[in-house]
Amino acid sequence: MNVRKSKPWNLPESAATPESDYLNRRKFLKAVGLGSSALVGGSIARAATAGFPSAKNDNYLLRELEPTDFELIAGYNNFYEFSYDKGEVQKLANQGWKTEPWTIEIAGQVDNPMKIDVNDLIKKIGGIEQRIYRFRCVEAWSMVIPWDGFELSALIDLAQPNSKAKFLKFTTFYDPKSAPGQKGGSIDWPYVEGLTLEEAQNELAFLATGIYGKPIPNQNGAPIRLVVPWKYGFKSIKSIVKIEFTSKQPMNTWQALQPREYGFYANVNPKVDHPRWSQASERIIGSGFFSKRKETLMFNGYEEQVAHLYKDLDLRRFY
Amino acid sequence: MNGIARILRKRWLLYFLLCSPVFIVFTPYIQSDTEFRADPAKYLLDYVGLAATYIFAIVISITPLRRIFPKSGIVNSLAYHRRPMGVSVCVYVFLHFLIYYFYTGSWADFVKDWEKLFILSGILAFAFLLLMAVTSSNRMVRRLGARNWKRLHRLAYPVLFLIIYHQAAQEKTGFRETALIFAPVLALQCWRLVLASKSFLARGNDSSNEIE
Repeated sequence: MNVRKSKPWNLPESAATPESDYLNRRKFLKAVGLGSSALVGGSIARAATAGFPSAKNDNYLLRELEPTDFELIAGYNNFYEFSYDKGEVQKLANQGWKTEPWTIEIAGQVDNPMKIDVNDLIKKIGGIEQRIYRFRCVEAWSMVIPWDGFELSALIDLAQPNSKAKFLKFTTFYDPKSAPGQKGGSIDWPYVEGLTLEEAQNELAFLATGIYGKPIPNQNGAPIRLVVPWKYGFKSIKSIVKIEFTSKQPMNTWQALQPREYGFYANVNPKVDHPRWSQASERIIGSGFFSKRKETLMFNGYEEQVAHLYKDLDLRRFY
Repeated sequence: MNGIARILRKRWLLYFLLCSPVFIVFTPYIQSDTEFRADPAKYLLDYVGLAATYIFAIVISITPLRRIFPKSGIVNSLAYHRRPMGVSVCVYVFLHFLIYYFYTGSWADFVKDWEKLFILSGILAFAFLLLMAVTSSNRMVRRLGARNWKRLHRLAYPVLFLIIYHQAAQEKTGFRETALIFAPVLALQCWRLVLASKSFLARGNDSSNEIE
C-alpha cells in the first residue's frame, strides 16, 4: 500500500524494475506525439534543460503505482499565472512565454551566492535523475509523476548556507505580458513559497527539470520547479527564478491569501480537513467517473522519510 | 407580440434549451476536454451546478424584469415559462447532488461532508427547490390557495442567497465568477424594490397589496 512495505532502496540492483513495468511505452509515445526515433534522438533540444540523460533512481520508484498519463499531467494544471481554468493553462503557457534561456538566482544567507543559467546549474550539480513521486493537490486529487531533476540538497551544498540561514524562500517569474493571469486578480504576484532549511535538506525534496524523461513542459513549471511530495501541490512552486536563504519564515502566497485555509507547512494530512472539504481521501486523475477514491496517506505516504521533521509540531495548528 | 417573443413562447424550444446542457456533455466539445478526462466526476459536478445556477439566475430575474419592462414581449414569454424553468433548476440541482455522491465515492464520506457550511448550503437550497418543484403544478396552486402558494414560493429568495454563498465558497480565490453571475441579478432586485417603494409613496397610505 505504501513505500514502507517495499523499502525500495534496500533492493539489490539486479532487482530493479524494467522500464516497461512502470511505463506503458506505447501509450506514452502516443501521448507525447513522438515516434521512437525522435525520443532516442532527443529532437526537442530547443527547450531549456534538454539533452541531459536521466537515469532512474531505484531508491525512488513507486512500483505499486501506475504513473499518470503524460497527456493528463501536461493538460490538467493549476497555474494561476496563466488561467484559473485547469484546461486552459496548457494552451496559454505555450503562446510566446519564453522559458529559455533561464537564469536562477541563489541569494541571501549563503557563502556562495550566484546567478546561473539553469543548464549550467544542472552541469554543476552533476546531471539529473528520474524519480517517481506521488503528487497530492490540496483540492483532493492526485497523480503519480515520473520527475527528472536533482535533489534540492545538492543545490544547498552548492550555495553553502551560513549559520543564519533557517528557511528557503522560492520566487516564481513575474512577466504579466506573457502570463495574463499576473495582470490582476486577488493574488499578490509573483508567487512565493517556502521551506525550512531542514525540510529542504530532506532526501525527498527535489528540483524537477523534466517529466517522463523530457524537458518539463511550460505548463508544469518550466524550466525548473520544486517538488516536495509529502506536501500539498501548491508548495511545489513552478518556474523558479530565485531561491533566497533567509533567517525568517517566508510568507507563502496561499497563506497570505487565505491564512485560515492554507498554512506554511501544508503537509498532506488526512486527519486535518480543509474548511470546505475533507482531506481524508483523494480522486485519482484519469481513473474515470465511477472510480472509488483512494485513502489519503499521512505525509502522502512518505511518513518514514519526513515524520521526524515534525515530531514537536502540533500538525492541527500548523497545517 | 413580436416575432422573437412568439418563438420564445414555444414549449418545444424551451424544453430543447433546458435539455441542451445535457446534450453538450456528449459532444466532442466536452468529451475531448482534458479536464473532463482527468476527472469526469469533478468536471460534471461543476458543469451541472453551473447550469442550475444560470437557469436559476434567469428565473429569479423574471419578476423584476416584468416590473421594469411590463410591455416587453420577450419578458412576458419568459414569464410564461417560469414554472418549467424553475423545475429544471431543481432537476439540475438533483443531478448535481447525485454526481456529488459519485464524486465522494462512498455514502459515509458523502454524509460526513454535510456538516461543512459549504455543502450544507447546497443541501438546503436543494431541499427548498424540491418543495417548490413538487408544488409547481396548477393542481397544487389550487390546493394550497394562491396566497399560500405564493408565500411558499418566496422560498426562491432564501435559495438565491444560499446559491450565492455556495457558488462563492467553491471559488478558490476571490468571487469573480459569482459576482459576474449575481451582480446583475441583485441589481435587478434592487431596481424592483426602488420601483415598488416609489409606487408605494405615490399612492400614499392607500397601499393595496403590491406583492405579486
